[in-house]
Amino acid sequence: MKLKVTIATGIGACLLVAACAPPGASNAQGPAQQGPVGTAAPTSEVTLSLVSTPESGAAIRSIITQFEGKHPTVKIKYQDTNFDDYNKSLNLSLASAQSPDIVLLNSVGTTVKDNLVRSLAAYEKAYSWDKVYPSTQLAQWRVGGDGKTLGFGDLYAAPAGFSIVGVYYNKAKAAKVGIASPPKTLEEFDAALAKAKAAGELPVQLGNAEGHASFAVQLIGQSHDGAEKAATWAFGHKGSTFDSPGNRQGADKVREWAGKGYLPADANGVDLQGAVDKFTKGEGVFFIDGNWDAAKIGERMNGDVGFFAFPGAKATAIGTSVAYGISAKCANPDAAALFLDYLHSEAASAAEFKAGFMPADVAAAKPEPGTVMADIVAAWTKVNADNGLVGFNNNATATMGDTLTAATQELIAGKTDGAGFIGAIQTDWAKTHG
Amino acid sequence: MAETAYAPRRMAVSRAGTATRRRRRQAHRLVPLLYVAPGFLFYLTFVIAPWLQSVWISLWEWNGVGVATWVGLDNYAEILAEPALRAALLNAFGFIVFYTVIPIVLGLVLAAVVAATPWRAMPVIRTVLFLPQILPLVAVGVVWKWIYSEDGPLNQLLGAVGLGDFARAWLGDFTWAFPAVGLIGSWVSTGLCFLLLLSGIGRIDQSLYEAAKMDGCGPVREFWHVTVPSLRREIGVAATVTIIAALAGFDIVYVMTGGGPGHATTVPGVQVYELVFTAGRVGTACALATVLSVLTCAVMYGINRLTKER
Repeated sequence: MKLKVTIATGIGACLLVAACAPPGASNAQGPAQQGPVGTAAPTSEVTLSLVSTPESGAAIRSIITQFEGKHPTVKIKYQDTNFDDYNKSLNLSLASAQSPDIVLLNSVGTTVKDNLVRSLAAYEKAYSWDKVYPSTQLAQWRVGGDGKTLGFGDLYAAPAGFSIVGVYYNKAKAAKVGIASPPKTLEEFDAALAKAKAAGELPVQLGNAEGHASFAVQLIGQSHDGAEKAATWAFGHKGSTFDSPGNRQGADKVREWAGKGYLPADANGVDLQGAVDKFTKGEGVFFIDGNWDAAKIGERMNGDVGFFAFPGAKATAIGTSVAYGISAKCANPDAAALFLDYLHSEAASAAEFKAGFMPADVAAAKPEPGTVMADIVAAWTKVNADNGLVGFNNNATATMGDTLTAATQELIAGKTDGAGFIGAIQTDWAKTHG
Repeated sequence: MAETAYAPRRMAVSRAGTATRRRRRQAHRLVPLLYVAPGFLFYLTFVIAPWLQSVWISLWEWNGVGVATWVGLDNYAEILAEPALRAALLNAFGFIVFYTVIPIVLGLVLAAVVAATPWRAMPVIRTVLFLPQILPLVAVGVVWKWIYSEDGPLNQLLGAVGLGDFARAWLGDFTWAFPAVGLIGSWVSTGLCFLLLLSGIGRIDQSLYEAAKMDGCGPVREFWHVTVPSLRREIGVAATVTIIAALAGFDIVYVMTGGGPGHATTVPGVQVYELVFTAGRVGTACALATVLSVLTCAVMYGINRLTKER
């Protein structure tokens, strides 16, 4: 008995001693040193590694080739990982000894707070990026001193291409049910949906297995509340709330659409690509989605499809940029920044547009007239003229994507009402920003 | 050799002699520990130590990379407060019906029927029933996701037999997603339970059945009064293995629904994964894992008590 106790105590003591340190404390590092920065290409050969996802990195390979042609001393190794795994492993790989140099940032999350990427403030000044890009295009990559409030402060990533979420419509079906032109207000949009329903068509195609009904809620919300107010919430500014007249209207409207049969009954069991397939096969008059599916939709529907920014007094859209930051462990930040600066060049812009993204330099967007791409460029130009671009609500916190998925699924299944939906979203937000 | 060497000393009973003997006895008692040591060391390094470490981490707020803050038991309070985490624990226990109860009942009936009527096709039946057990669960999940999908085989079948009105996206339906996912657990576990119970039936003393027959028992009463009680131990093993599978499940749910719609099918495994890799809340994840492991141990203790041979 005594022996057992002795052995057990000994082992227990060893384990406790081993464990009794706060986890991860030794990994913590201070902010990267900010010395003077240079904008010249390195004189001796430098190799950088760049990580991205297949979708966002579609154009980056050809951009790298052109860049290396222009600056022969810089070599860039490209590697991609699928979206889900990329986001889950990015912080760990940035913290590891094999950190990549240039990284795609899909959201700020805790990456800045943990000092894993460099502040680009000095490079922004050196390259005058604030004059190259409209302020709303950089705002989502500015992070305040607390490491989590967005919209002001140091810049942490430079954009390569942009996405925009708006409304696709099936031109043939719209004409058939008597919708002559894209609706200009939410009331007109509602009336068009009623018309489609009465004519026996599915008014809005939707796949909500991954929570894409949140696009509709956000678009209705921000077109009512205004882009600026919507952005302060998405950026996590203290004191803002999701419980606004616009978002209330958005949640109620989406629930109402589901109740009236304006949305597919099985939406919760269909993912975004499933919905794209159905829409291109003629199921649904309208479809809320981003420009990233434009090439596929345009090709499959043989040009019989249009696109418009969500109806409202001012043009607003959900949009973000495919943006790249520099690891805090990067040994050659000057060379990395040289590449980031190349991302808004005419050649890079053309490559991004070809891959389906809106380019930083709109002049590089040359769509064929009459195509859905022409509609998208028109909507993009209009939204930027109205300064109406707002980041995705699901980037407001690290978990907001999951929270929006669960909450929109409950909303369109009638398991929760508008107030319950808004409460769930604000609770998640308050945990990070409250 | 040692006996002879120590023999004279044993004669002279002295304080020193008793002390030596005590030391020797102690040394002898340590020998079995030496045999256990290599296995125990592995167990200690790869099971006990990580478990204790995760209990330790559960007392901190930590995102896996940055600096940790001591929060005491706050993470445990969050598990009770957050609907998604509560739902995960409740669902895990709900899955026991599909992973354990249904397969054991089905397995018992199948095993009794098969044992009573020896078929030539027996090896084929055994293989077919056991097949789901050897497939990787991720592959199982992918296949069933397709079967349940809106235009998948299940709905096509329903349409073909005139039940098209019942067709739906099964995994997107708040009412049906849980049983749809659960039934896959039944499909996977039934083969294992069947084989375990069948081998148990082979062990039952035939004279018991003869005695039952003499007392006028039909096949059903034989099943209840002889087969089921004699299989107590096998049922215990089957319950242990399948309950652990139900409580610690991850692959099938993650692949098929990711826990949705809403939180209808979420389980602790999926929540722990999301907490660590999406939310960056490693402390809360460890707290949930700790709660789950304690609950699992408690259930196992109960099962052991219930199925112990009297």
